[in-house]
Amino acid sequence: MIPAAFDYKRASSAAEAISLVGQYGDEAKFLAGGHSLIPLMKLRLAQPSMLIDIGRITDLSYIKDAGDHIAIGALTRHMDVEKSELVKKHVPLLAHAAGHVGDAQVRHRGTIGGSLAHADSASDLPATTLALGATYVAQGPNGERTIAAKDFYKGFLESALAADEMLTEIRVPKISGGSYGFEKFNRRAQDWAIVGVAAWRSNGNSGIALVNMGSTPILAVSASNALNQGASIADAAELAAAEAEPQSDLNASSDYRIHLAKVLVRRALENASK
Amino acid sequence: MAIVEIDVETGKIEVLKYVAVDDCGVQINPLIVEGQVHGGVIQGLAQALFEEAVYDEDGNLKTTTLAEYLVPAACDVPSITTAHTVTPSPTNQLGVKGIGEAGTIGAAPTIINAIIDALSSLGVKHMPMPASPQTVWRAIQSAKK
Repeated sequence: MIPAAFDYKRASSAAEAISLVGQYGDEAKFLAGGHSLIPLMKLRLAQPSMLIDIGRITDLSYIKDAGDHIAIGALTRHMDVEKSELVKKHVPLLAHAAGHVGDAQVRHRGTIGGSLAHADSASDLPATTLALGATYVAQGPNGERTIAAKDFYKGFLESALAADEMLTEIRVPKISGGSYGFEKFNRRAQDWAIVGVAAWRSNGNSGIALVNMGSTPILAVSASNALNQGASIADAAELAAAEAEPQSDLNASSDYRIHLAKVLVRRALENASK
Repeated sequence: MAIVEIDVETGKIEVLKYVAVDDCGVQINPLIVEGQVHGGVIQGLAQALFEEAVYDEDGNLKTTTLAEYLVPAACDVPSITTAHTVTPSPTNQLGVKGIGEAGTIGAAPTIINAIIDALSSLGVKHMPMPASPQTVWRAIQSAKK
């Protein structure tokens, strides 16, 4: 299908983008890499009458060492996150997950900010940054604010961003030592996960999040706490699966999803415990 | 012939190896013959593992786009080993026969038979198509009872 008709403006800065979206309100959507939005528009599940292209705001594409965290500009392409030596060193789970988004062509265009703002629970990076305890920076007409990942995902394709706000930066705490696990279960190599898991363990701490087990990515808090207090991986996996109430859909029934979650959390934690 | 590997915890199938031996009489263009066998095998494999038209209780088709009706891509299929014998056809002067259907006809039952063979020790005797991971997992669970 082709998208419904839309108008197009290109913004050369975050400030200009925010001022434009203020003019057009609900009718406008930001266009970054386009690899979440355009497919939705082609299915006519999104029909913005104005696209504000922020894809050329190059000063929002960066990866910096900010002391206790890595700061990633919202317009950084997935390929750059995947290949970044800084990310591989300090948050290898994120580099690994970014390398699993779509395929290489998608990773050359899609951006981390775009993926997170799109807030699809079946995407890899919302759950991964959620597991990592990331903070997102949003800029609006009244200035800047920070939103913890755990407060960001409100519902199906719904984030805590106001209509006139734009993600500008993602802050991911550094993790020293430990290991991670990432499981993406699908039928075809380039599909979204039917169920996915992002997990890390280090120095008695852990983070576990589930992909496509609900309308939002799910942070498995009780599983993580239990694990930190000495619970077995198998018990943590049971707890993690119990934190979700997945729906049945064409890809999987809810009971199969719950079963997959247990298996995949267990496998991710086994890798994270090496 | 096919060798498949099954992750019994998830039901996911991986086709490790596929071998097809065909005879289409005299081969006028061996590259085309090769391509036809590959394409046919992949189509049969797609039927065994991926393609499914799903209807709801009111008879409405739910798999209406290629996002839901699954067709494998190159990275979803194994390398295919082919070989040929040449028995010239006696029915025409060129000695040729068709090759377009050969790959397809054998592939779906080959994959399904390989799956059943792999799971036979678990008591599985039947596998519907497509053998999605969920379908395979359910078959394994049913056989346990």
